[in-house]
Amino acid sequence: MATNTAISVQHISKSYGNFKAVDDLTFDVYGGEVFALLGPNGSGKTTTIRMILDILRPDAGAIQVLGGPITDATKDRIGYLPEERGLYRNVPVLEMMSYLGRLKGLSGNDAKKRSLALLEKLELAEHAKKKISELSKGMQQKVQFAVTVLHDPALIIIDEPFSGLDPVNTLVIKALLLEFRDKGGAVVMSTHQMQQVEEMCNRLLMIHRGQQRLYGPLEDIRKQYAQHAIIVEGEGNWSSLPGVIRVEQAQNGARESDHQAMLYLDAQTSPDAVLAAIASSRQMNIRRFELAVPDLNEIFIRVVEGERHAQ
Amino acid sequence: MLNKALIVARREYGFNVRRPGFLFAAFGMPIFLVFMIFIVSLVIASTEEDLERLGTIGYVDHSDVLSEAVAVPATFATFEDETSARTALDESTIGAYFVVPEDYLNSGDVTLYGNSGLPDALHDAISDFLVANLSAKADGELPVERIITPVHTTYFLINSGRTLNEEIFILVFLPFIFAIVFMIATQVSSGYLMGGVVEEKSTRIMEILITSITSTELLVGKIIGLGALGLTQLLVWLAMGGITLALGQNRLLPLPPDFNLSLDLIPLDFVVVMLVYFVLDYALFASLMAGIGVMVGSEQESRQYAGIIGLLTSLPYFFFFFFISDPNGPLPVALTLIPITAPLATIFRLGIGPVPAWQIIASMLILLATTIVVVWASARVFRWGALLYGTRVTPRLLFNLIRRSPQSGGVVTSAVQEHRLS
Repeated sequence: MATNTAISVQHISKSYGNFKAVDDLTFDVYGGEVFALLGPNGSGKTTTIRMILDILRPDAGAIQVLGGPITDATKDRIGYLPEERGLYRNVPVLEMMSYLGRLKGLSGNDAKKRSLALLEKLELAEHAKKKISELSKGMQQKVQFAVTVLHDPALIIIDEPFSGLDPVNTLVIKALLLEFRDKGGAVVMSTHQMQQVEEMCNRLLMIHRGQQRLYGPLEDIRKQYAQHAIIVEGEGNWSSLPGVIRVEQAQNGARESDHQAMLYLDAQTSPDAVLAAIASSRQMNIRRFELAVPDLNEIFIRVVEGERHAQ
Repeated sequence: MLNKALIVARREYGFNVRRPGFLFAAFGMPIFLVFMIFIVSLVIASTEEDLERLGTIGYVDHSDVLSEAVAVPATFATFEDETSARTALDESTIGAYFVVPEDYLNSGDVTLYGNSGLPDALHDAISDFLVANLSAKADGELPVERIITPVHTTYFLINSGRTLNEEIFILVFLPFIFAIVFMIATQVSSGYLMGGVVEEKSTRIMEILITSITSTELLVGKIIGLGALGLTQLLVWLAMGGITLALGQNRLLPLPPDFNLSLDLIPLDFVVVMLVYFVLDYALFASLMAGIGVMVGSEQESRQYAGIIGLLTSLPYFFFFFFISDPNGPLPVALTLIPITAPLATIFRLGIGPVPAWQIIASMLILLATTIVVVWASARVFRWGALLYGTRVTPRLLFNLIRRSPQSGGVVTSAVQEHRLS
């Protein structure tokens, strides 16, 4: 695990009247990782982010950011991109970036130089003098991202970084985020795009109704939700295999002939044993064999739906 | 802390000073006004030229009022009868002639003959001529000049030591212009402030801003930057007014001969009082507008509120008659002391006559105290209003926001939430 802690949250709670928006959350975010903050709408993600940013104060608990309680100096080392976002419409791109950079403590010269370098990198250099309102939506979002990282922060908190971006720009922003991470920066990313989380994030926190539901490295969580089952694709009478207690034909095979199936195993049977049994059988052949580890989307739905059913 | 506020101030000034709307208000309007003065004086001058253009004016008198006429204008010439006058007109040796009939003293009828449009100035000249001769006939002992012009007023304003000759209309007109300039300066800049806040909130740039600087820094920066903008506008207007008056004083403008402009029309004490009021009133206005802008979040709605406040500020206009007839009466004094109407009321009264010093001082102190309270309350509202979306603003909510300390964010948002739930 990385040694430097970017954010340390200890038992924070926050109520709005009788409504408990955040309920006893504890988690850490480290430098050099992308940390996902997940949860359904209204689960307390934004309140949590606002408390980290000192926009709101928690009713209880403590938060340390970049090595101490948040101060004005700390804020200069954070880049924040809220979910619903916009820019000054009638201001030239470079002028606006310089202004926001200066508010983050850059000198006038630095702010301008860095803005130009970033615009160059994002292939927006030729638009530097244009007003924001003259840019396409995709360009505007790249500018917003540029503003977030302009002052070379140590921590980026970014809400739905990819919403509204086309696949090409998604790749550009993703590459920049990963580059930032590789240089030791910490990224907190709140998103509903589970695929992006699976591709980019090292660890995650999932909250629901203000409480922690899942927390830890992505792989650990997926294993934790892994069923004692395997997914196979091929031909054969799967239910005849020793240790298989139930066979479910998967719905999502691309072709009719794919014959994808989920095999549930009894407690004593390991996936390895099943693989060996298939290999030694002449009536069966497989094109694919994998552990039935659910994707994050499924886990997400299971956590949220599970609670709904439990009520 | 101050550093970041100054960055905001410089940005607000730099951005807004380039707006076409501001450039027009700051430079276009005074140029337009000077241009209008020009046009008016040209028109006045040209009507007098019209009289000269007519050349000699003949007259035929059947009433004996003009026998042994006195105060005959240089261009007037008498004719024996209407036939000879008509001949002279036809031969263009005279431009027009008028006939005073026998029963003039009873009827007052005078008939004027001419070929083309006859200027008003001719009517006045004939009238003056007849008044002079009537009075000479009635009692030759009275000086004719006194009957034509019974009053030459000199206004000596004791507390300012100013003397104004005759131009009573300027006396009334000037405070009016000052009041307009003053209102435009405060309302344009505080309007920009409100528009900026509304834009920042609706685009959510506000969230980025308040994670970069404190809401107080943001508010202070905006008030300083746009205050400097309003002051720029005011000074441009004063400078242009001063230049116009200086040119007029040295007769470098084509003004009619009895139309006098003088730098004394803008006395220094007046300017100083006006600038002090500007600073106080602007701070009051700007912080009110910032508070409104951050709470309502839509340009349209915020303009309605701004309109109401603008209307309250301009109340003294509606009671201008009271200021003219009795500048020290109860209503003008009351409006001088009420903070929101104080600047205009004082400007009106100072323009018209002396204002007791205690009233100006009391008015400024009340305004200062109100401004401090409003700036403070706005700073509190601003902190939380920036993050409120879709909440209807009620007096109770506002009161809650103002009452709670900025350190207890939870309590404030609780208040908001409770409010929303109830």
